[in-house]
Order: sequence, then structure tokens, then C-alpha cells
Amino acid sequence: MKIVTKSFLRYLPRRLSLSLLQLVGVACGVAAVVGMTLSAQTALKSFTNTIEFLRGKTTHSIQRPVGAMEEEFLSQLGQDPAVEWFSPVIDRRLRLENGESVHLLGIDPFLDRPIRTEISRVEFLAKEKSATESLFSFLTDEKAILIDSHLKKSLPSGSPPILKTEKGPLYIKGSFPNPSGEPLILMDIGHAQKLYQLYGYVDRVDLILSDESDFRSRWGKGFLIQSSRQKRETFSGMLQAFRLNLEALSLLALFIGVFLIYNTAMFAVVSRRRDTGILRSIGANRLEIACAFLSEIFILGLLGGALGGLLGYFLTRFLTDLLGSSISNLYFFLRPQPVSWSNWILAMGMGLGCGASLLGGALPLGELIRTDPIKALSGRIASPETVRKAKRAAMAGLLILLISATLFIIPGSHVYVGFIGVFVFILGVSLLTGVVLLLLHPLLKKILGRIGGLPGKIASGNIQQNLGRTGVAIAAFMVSLSMSIGLSIMIGSFRESLIWWMETQIRGDLYIGKMEEAEVPEDFFEEIKKIEGLGGVHPYRNVQTLYRNTSINLSAVDASVLEKYARFGWLKGGNENWEEVKKGGVIVSESFSRRFGVNSGDTITLEGKDGPVKFRVGAIFYDYTTEHGLVMMDRSTYIKAFGDRRLNNIGIFIDPHHPRRIEVLQEVRSRAEARGLPVLTGSELHQNILDVFDHTFAITRSMRAMAIIVAFLGIAGALLTLFIERSREFGIYRALGFSTRQVARMTLIESLEMGLLSFLLSMAVGTVLAMLLIKVINLRSFNWTIFFFLTWPPYILTGITAILASIGAAIYPMVRVFWTYPQIQIREE
Amino acid sequence: MSEPVIRVTDLWKMYEVDGSGVPALRGTYLEVRKGERVALLGKSGSGKSTLFNLIAGLDRPTKGRIEIEGQDLEALGDKGRTTLRRTKIGFIFQFFNLLPTLTVFENVYLSLELANKPDPELALKALKEVGLEGKERRFPNELSGGEQQRVAIARAIVKHPSIILADEPTGNLDTSTGNQILQLLTRTSRESGTTLMMATHSPLTCRYATRILRMVDGVITEETSGEERPY
Repeated sequence: MKIVTKSFLRYLPRRLSLSLLQLVGVACGVAAVVGMTLSAQTALKSFTNTIEFLRGKTTHSIQRPVGAMEEEFLSQLGQDPAVEWFSPVIDRRLRLENGESVHLLGIDPFLDRPIRTEISRVEFLAKEKSATESLFSFLTDEKAILIDSHLKKSLPSGSPPILKTEKGPLYIKGSFPNPSGEPLILMDIGHAQKLYQLYGYVDRVDLILSDESDFRSRWGKGFLIQSSRQKRETFSGMLQAFRLNLEALSLLALFIGVFLIYNTAMFAVVSRRRDTGILRSIGANRLEIACAFLSEIFILGLLGGALGGLLGYFLTRFLTDLLGSSISNLYFFLRPQPVSWSNWILAMGMGLGCGASLLGGALPLGELIRTDPIKALSGRIASPETVRKAKRAAMAGLLILLISATLFIIPGSHVYVGFIGVFVFILGVSLLTGVVLLLLHPLLKKILGRIGGLPGKIASGNIQQNLGRTGVAIAAFMVSLSMSIGLSIMIGSFRESLIWWMETQIRGDLYIGKMEEAEVPEDFFEEIKKIEGLGGVHPYRNVQTLYRNTSINLSAVDASVLEKYARFGWLKGGNENWEEVKKGGVIVSESFSRRFGVNSGDTITLEGKDGPVKFRVGAIFYDYTTEHGLVMMDRSTYIKAFGDRRLNNIGIFIDPHHPRRIEVLQEVRSRAEARGLPVLTGSELHQNILDVFDHTFAITRSMRAMAIIVAFLGIAGALLTLFIERSREFGIYRALGFSTRQVARMTLIESLEMGLLSFLLSMAVGTVLAMLLIKVINLRSFNWTIFFFLTWPPYILTGITAILASIGAAIYPMVRVFWTYPQIQIREE
Repeated sequence: MSEPVIRVTDLWKMYEVDGSGVPALRGTYLEVRKGERVALLGKSGSGKSTLFNLIAGLDRPTKGRIEIEGQDLEALGDKGRTTLRRTKIGFIFQFFNLLPTLTVFENVYLSLELANKPDPELALKALKEVGLEGKERRFPNELSGGEQQRVAIARAIVKHPSIILADEPTGNLDTSTGNQILQLLTRTSRESGTTLMMATHSPLTCRYATRILRMVDGVITEETSGEERPY
């Protein structure tokens, strides 16, 4: 190795604590990206594997646009010349006693065998019986099921072959291989129909078609026919916005990691300036110095990246579960398998670390090779130059902010443009940090002088004198604190908007049944309607269907009940909007309107049971049920168009001043419980929704925490570097009579000032970031309006974080002061 | 008479201070021949270091010409000037300027590596010449001031340069150590025929020079030979 390179690299072990700090910082940034990327990839892979496994040899599937499909069509399908094979399917979720959700497929074993050959490789439990006998048992016992091999392994050994579920015990007759990893149960389709009370209906029919267009010509009207590819794309499309936001979060963590590397590289530049001057004076050229510097940065990036890859792998264990349950709660059932270790993870981390090093080190490298050797050797503190640089950076920052603003105001632009705008905005404000520090310096000097006396004043001066280092650390900390504030306000605003929405739309006293499954019998609905004293009984149906080949939600409601009891948030108008619904029109959610460009007065076409049906859009309302868009119609309109009488749940409304309010509600509850139907009060339902919301944002919160950790390491690194490089200065303090305590206090005050400055800047930047996330990112990603709610807790919590982090960052340098200060002397080289 | 090793013609160097130009060198003329040992005497701020930096190609003049062994420094370009520093010029500083993370041996060997003569034996020999045999593995912070300056001298002479520029080589040393350093420098210069220029504010340094130049306010004003020492 060249001696020039060696001279730089030896600093790494020499300043071990600093090197470790920087290494961990890089590792955290890389870990966030690796963790999030791998988790998202594994979720997608699980999703793809499951789809592929369940698809088998299916080429297409046919179902009603909404609701279940009548069994009577099966014989016609079997006789259709384009159909090579078919298999009717019941496709549902089943909750186990332990709260876990599993996928249940009701199939005809004989019809299904040619389609899903893997599943047909069953291993029956009763070894004493022949395969035929076991199959017969499976077909005749209405509680019999087959479970996949993974689920079988998860059951306690020696336990009886019974699976306890919310629908009672089910008896395990055998198991089958399942490469997808998603827990899967098979049941005879007839028994599944009974279990889900789907007499005479199936969810869909999987087909092997020889001629799609021929088939569509006969079956295209009143049915939804999808190829396997289309189905996969539909599911994939549902995840798009969610995935995008996750990727953005992890990129933000990497951005802060890159900032930290930039931070690290700038420290190195300042530290190596003198060495660079010496090397240039004895004949080293710029290339040799660049190589030496890059080697140092790359080693940090490589080792930090490797560590980050490892940490990221462990992070996936936590994130994958979180991601899977969020997707299951919001979109469709998914249970991703944990990522298994591969050396590629390490390689990925190292690649990211090196890439981030190159990015973060580019500007500092440029500065280093342009170092004037004479100034470097003379040791002049280039204060005016630092001020000039800060002003130049501020000019660049303003220009960048202008570009950012332009990106936000481009009408109709993609959410990617919005994300780029946010990153550019963060970069722009970071570049302004130096100048802002210079402007705030006199005020802070006064304040710190009052609080900390002479050490306080000196501490304030030190930060300004070392702006090249402290400025970058403060900028990095500011960015992460801003992210904390911005995300907190965004999440808080979203939560408040959600609460507002629930209080306007979900105002029932009781809710019977579930929002996502059809399980309330119609006769029960009729029975409840007859109970004396009830104000309104609201039937609710919610299904997924396609609009312009994109998945949307469709809800059937009782417009009269909602008109009386709900307070919908309308974009325009008021309760008069229900008139259109009563007349057979629809209202659409804001996300539907934005996504498809549909406005009041427009007509939309949905595929009904007898073919396409047109609906006039009466109004647009605020809604957070789904970002894919919601179309709402009266139940009578729904039944007429789709022939689906099933109900997901019914809402019970009663006058709050009714003298027998409690008894009436109790009677409703008793009747529902007698039927085995779940019952929730309005506030319980609200809380469930909020729980799903909070769970979904757990990922966001974990990324936020990671960003804070990374930036904290930046502050700690800056302080440690300042301490290491100022031993001569400490010698002067000692010679002048400063005590150890005073110098330690100075170190603490420096740290607190840096933290305080970061926090003050982050209050403004974080607020703007929140507005951007709400008004731009969320709007473009999910097409819904979140109302801006400014509250104090995010600021207070972030302030506390800043103070604690500052104190934490100062601990080690203060310990070093107590250890070494009493021995420090001014010593020339 | 042979061509001068160093020729400086009408050399000016201006610095920007608060918007106005302050001259550090004002029309300096100088010729130094091979093997001469020149002491450049002047107070702090007289322009000695500025002149040395310009001769070494570390800085560029506002006006004027510098030739090293007949080559115009300006025409050489940055790459050429760097090569010059690698091969033909040895620089010794007041504050030693050793690389703190390299051992004594590595600090000297560095010079050879840069000059494309990576021979460890030469480095060891140079260290022996300056009296630091046995201290090759030490780091600069483990040495005294005098020892550090010896390392700096070894670093400068190991590549057998044509010119040694020593900017206040004893400025940071006590008198006794300083004399030892000066003796070492002059002996090396005499034995190898290397041209030696020493910038100094101490008249004692002049004892070791064959030629004494006085610099005042950026101008070389007086010249005396070594025999005509004023002290």
C-alpha cells in the first residue's frame, strides 16, 4: 500500500472511538434501507409465491363483479367449448382461536386435482386407513380439513388433530406441501359453503381456457373474467402506493446516512488539511491524495455497510411481521415468510455503504484536493473563508429550494416527483444551516453566556469557529428532527382526520358483524328492524370490484338512515346529496374522484349481474376506507344491479334520549350474540379502526427512530472530533486556569447548543415537511385529503429528544475531559 | 560560469487583504548557483517564506519569473511543479511537518516513494546520516524537537535533490540543538554538492552560509559573502 494512503488510513485505528461512531452511523443508515427493502421484497415474494401456488394451472377465473357466484352456472361452464377444465372455489379467511388468520380454500377435490396438483399430494394422518378411506372421511365429515405442512409443524406435537377456530373446532385429516409459506387450509367445498352459509354459491370458478376471446363473448356480460396475469397485476397495483411510501421512508433513512458520511468526510477533510499541505509540499499530487482520502471513506463505507447489512437482516425479522399484518389489515391477506440469510445481504449492505460513501464523500473530496497547501501548513483558521462558504452554500440552498417549489406546483405530476421534491427541499434547507447559525450566533452567545457564564460564551464561539464541522452535524440532526416532527404531525393529522371521519360517518350505537366479511344473515336484519324503539337499522355491504380494470370498493347502504344519522363530509353541498343516491345514483369518495378524474354529474359504468350498468355521480365525500376509491349506493340500487343480498354488518341507531335506550340496545346485543354474531359499540369500532391505523404506522415510527439514531451519532461524532482536535486549545485553557469542571461544562454546553439549534431549525422545517407530506405526498399517493392539525406534543417530544440526544452525545467527550484534561499541556509538535 | 540553479527575475506577490492588494514581494531578483549555501536573513513578515513557497512551486507569483535549473516554473504547470518537488527540491519547515501517523522510517521512505525510488535501504541510510539509527519505528510524537527536525532533513535529502529549501529550520529549537541541525545541513550540502537556501531571522544561521542575503519588505536589499560576516 502506498505510504500516502497509509498516512490517512492510520487515523482510523488511532481515533478508534470516532471511527466506531462513524461506522455505526453508516451501519444504521444502511440497516434501515436493507431492512425495509428486504421486508418489502419478501412480502412481494410471498405474495407472488402464494398467487402462483394457488393459481396452479389456472389460466383464468370467473366470478360475479360483486358478491358470490351462483352454483347454477357451473354446469353451463362445464359444457362451454372454451373451457378445458374448471374448479369452483370458496376463498375465505378463517381466524384461529389464537387470533391468527389463515387462508381457507373450499374445493372439490376431484375437480381441483388437475388444476392444483401440488395440493392433491396429501398425506393423510390416519395411517391405518387407506387413501380412499381417508379421502372419503374428508368428504363426508363436515368439519374435516387438510392443513399445509408449515401449519402442521406449528401445532404442538402430540396434540389431537383439531384446529380451534372462531367457527368452532375443525378436524385435521391430513397435510399437503405448500411452497408459498402462507398458512392454508383445504375443505370440501360443500362443507365450506355450510361453514360460511353460502348455500348455492361459490366465490369464483378457476378455469383452464382454450380460447379466451371466445369464452368472453359468451360470459363477458354480468361476470368478471380475469386472466391470471391480470389478477396478479390487480393485487400488485393495490400495494403500489403503500410500497412507494415504504421505499421513500427507507430512502430517507439512507439520505440521513449519506449526510452522516458527508459529515464524517468533512471532519476528515478538516483533520487532513494539514497533512495534505505537507504531502503537497513534498511532492504528492492531487490524485494520490484523493486516493488516500477515498480509501479512508470507502473502508468506513464498506465496514459500516457490512455491519448495516447484518443489522438490516435482523431488522427484517421485526419489519416483515409488521409489514405482513399491515398489508393484511389494509389490503389482502398476506403472511410473508421471514428472510433467510444470504451472503447477498452482506454484499447489498457493502454496496450501499460504498455507494453512500461515494455520494457523501464527493464534495469533501473536492474540497480536500483543492486545499491550498500554504494555508494548510500555516494553520490559519480560515474563518472568513468559512463564512464565505456558508454564504455560497446558502445561495445554492435557495436555488435548490426554488427547484423544489417548482416540483411541487407542477400540476398533475406523479408522486415520484413529489418525493424528489421533498428530498430536494431537505437538501436545500440543509445548505442554509450555516448562514442561519451565523445569524443566530450573537443571540445564542448572549443566552449561553447568561446560562453558562464564560464557558458558555466560549462554547458558543467554538461552534461558530468550527462551522465547517458543526454546521454539517447540526444540519444532519436538524433533518432527522424535522423528519420526526413532520412525520408526527402528518400521522397526528391523519389520525385526527380519521377520528373526524369516523365521528361523521360511523355514528351507530352498535355494529353487528364485521366490516370486511359478509356474515350477517338477511333474516336477522329483518328481525332486528322489527324491534320497538330503534331509530334506524343500517344494512351495510362492502365488496371489491373492478373499475377500469382497477380494484375499487363498492358499498351498499341505506341512504335514508345515513341521511338522518350520519354527518358525511361532503366536498360540496350537504345532506341534499343523498337525494341522488335515493334515486339510484351514487356518491363517490374523494380518492375515487381524484384517481379516476370523476366529478359530480359524471356517469360511471360498473359491470352488473346482467351487464354494464350506468350510475350518475351525485356528489363526492371525504372518506378513508380505502385509497383505491369507494363508490356508495343505496341497497336497493345495489341489489337491483348486482343481485347480492348479503350483508357485512348492520348498524344500530337509537335516539340518545330514548327512555329505554339501554334495554333496547341490550336486546339487540342478546339477539346478535345468540346467533354467534360479533357485536361492537360505536366507540369500540372506532378504537379498532384506530388500532389498525396505529399498527400501520408502526413501520413509519421505527424508520423515524432509526433516522434519529443516525443523526445522534452525527452529533456525537462532531463533538468527539472537536474534542480530539482541540487538545492544544485545552492546553491553553488549562494554562489560563480553567478547571476540569469548567471545560467539561463547556463541552456539554457545546453539545446542548448544537442540539438546541438543530431543534429550533427543525421546528420550522418539520412543520413545512408535514405540510408537504400532507398536501403533496399523501394526496398524490393516496388521493385523499388529510386535514392539517397542528398540535404541540410532536414539538415537545422532539425537543426532549434533542436535549437527551445532546446530553448523550456529550457524555463520552466529557468523560475524556475528566480523564485527560488534568494532564494536558501546550506542546508544539 | 555555470547556469544558476535558481533564477528569480522581477518577482512580485500580492495578497488581497480587505479588498486591497498588499505586496509580500516587490520586484525581487535572485540568482543562486549550484552548491551555494545561502542564508536569507529577514524579520518575520519580510517575505522569506513567500519567496520559498514560490521557488518550490507551492504558490504562483503575481508577476515575474522563476527558473529552476533553467526551467520556467510557470511553463511547467502544476504537474511539472509537483514533479519538481518530488525530485529536485527538498523542503524543511520550522515546525518539522512530519506526518503524525507514519513512523520515522515511513516519513523518510515516503519521499523516495514519491520520487519513484522506493528503496528502503536509502531511507535507512539517510536516517543513519542524520543520527537516527535505531529510531525507525518511532512516531513523531515520541521524538524531541531536534530529532523531529533530523527526520525532516532525512526526508529532504534522501532523494538527493538539487536544492534544499529550509524555512527557519532552527526556529523551533534551542540554540545547541539548532547548531547541530545547521551543521548537519551544511555538511550534507557540502558533501553532496546540493544547493542550500535557509530562511532565517537569526544572524547565527549566517555562520553556516557561503552567501548572506537580507530581505526587507519583500525586497532583497543586501548581499554579503560568508567571509564578510557582519558578526
